[in-house]
Amino acid sequence: MLNTFQQAETAVLPKATLEEKARQEFAKSLKQFIQQGILPGLGPVYRTRAAKRFEKEAGREPVDRHDIRKAMVPDAYFQHYAAVNRISQELLWDGVIDSIDREGADLLARAKQASAANKGELRIDPAFQVPKYVSALDIHCMPGGYAGRDGESDLRLGALYDRGVFLYAMGYTGPDNDDMGRSVCDYILARLGGFRPKRILDMGCTVGHSTLPYKELFPEAEVWGIDVGGPQIAYAHARAGAMGLDVNFAQMNAEKTDFPDGHFDLVVSHILLHETSGKAMPRVFAECHRVLAPGGYMIHADLPPFDLMDPFTQFILDNETYYNNEPFWGAMRDLDQVKLARDAGFPADTIRFDTAPMAVMKFAAAEAAGYSQDAADSVADRDFVAGEFAPGGGWEVLIAHKPLDA
Amino acid sequence: MTETDLKPMIRSAKGKRPGFYDTPALDQMMSMIMVLAGEVSVLADQIDLIQRAAGATGLDLAGAMRDFVFDQAALEEREARRQAMLDRLFYLMRKEAAEAEASETSEVYTQVLDEIARG
Repeated sequence: MLNTFQQAETAVLPKATLEEKARQEFAKSLKQFIQQGILPGLGPVYRTRAAKRFEKEAGREPVDRHDIRKAMVPDAYFQHYAAVNRISQELLWDGVIDSIDREGADLLARAKQASAANKGELRIDPAFQVPKYVSALDIHCMPGGYAGRDGESDLRLGALYDRGVFLYAMGYTGPDNDDMGRSVCDYILARLGGFRPKRILDMGCTVGHSTLPYKELFPEAEVWGIDVGGPQIAYAHARAGAMGLDVNFAQMNAEKTDFPDGHFDLVVSHILLHETSGKAMPRVFAECHRVLAPGGYMIHADLPPFDLMDPFTQFILDNETYYNNEPFWGAMRDLDQVKLARDAGFPADTIRFDTAPMAVMKFAAAEAAGYSQDAADSVADRDFVAGEFAPGGGWEVLIAHKPLDA
Repeated sequence: MTETDLKPMIRSAKGKRPGFYDTPALDQMMSMIMVLAGEVSVLADQIDLIQRAAGATGLDLAGAMRDFVFDQAALEEREARRQAMLDRLFYLMRKEAAEAEASETSEVYTQVLDEIARG
């Protein structure tokens, strides 16, 4: 498949010169090549030589992802794979920073104007304490981090995320980077028996990529996006304005928000949980239960737990932990999420994992730039392949329901 | 932050960078090779765009390039440029050959240092 996916422009997206655009495209092409051209060789390399070397040295077969890691790390094929993967990640951020630095105050001015067009609230807390799981490392190796240094609210880090994450995802999440939110919305419309939320909270929303589809599909609803990153929230508010949507954004921690009990009837998150911590995750679930009204739903879209995968798949996915500043990625997948939801107060019979089919087909149908029908078909039809961005066909969602008599 | 005191964006991500190769220098080499590959890709994109943009204004540069016949002077200029490029690429081998020719060794170098130190 030739990946020609193009990001939709908005008034706040950093503008690239031809050269900057070409460098950014190269970073995306390199990631696509790694996924299509290098990743498939890891399995054969492991089976035909790395596993054998491990057996010879350890006197036993590799049994889990940790053993497989020990077997693969010294192998030259794996070294090239991991090195180039990391380099592609560094190049993509650097290529976007070039645009942002060159644009300087122009970008801020456009963002200010766009933000003024969003009638939703914007709450930035100058005294906000960024949790360690976000401030200790720059997640995804994004220089400056999602929350900035020392509480800076420089929204250029949101602009960096907006463009960088599109390249990171190679466009698989659509021209507006919103496939996860859109897929969960579609799932709600198709599968939750006429449930139409009136107040929606998106936790860990960064720049609101996945938040906005909720406003689009439920236009009467009051929609809030929260995140610990001030720059992300400020940019999210501007981006929503640039896209003509009135959505509220606030700098808050999903472990403990400022919202009253039972304020929302839908609480969602998209690839948030694996960016938290062992202590934070149960608190996030408890907070979801607290802010949900009776009859409401909690839906977390993330990647599935390790116990649903074979050890080699686990090993491939765990590379993110070691090489892409994703400290909780591996540990999170070892947690019993269903138990966490139960402990938070959700009845056991309302908790389940399910798959929300990707909305990528719709981007092709809408004739978004670069989203050919062929490419959309091949994304939607493929099987799950560890190490590829976005699992085949759909997103894993954890769903729990707060009964009406709760 | 006001618009007048904009600092340059941070370029280095927080978090110890893993090494992938047994020799750390190889990690740096690979990153340089990838950056260079990126620049080659940028140039190829630019040439492609030149042709397409010219084509859009009715100037068939791609066709004209395909049909172009190089005269002797052009052939020589192009070949000289290629050879010069390769010469730059292999400058260390050139240096090695020159050292062999002049019998320059580490021992001779150290000997010169000693002699100059003494006066």
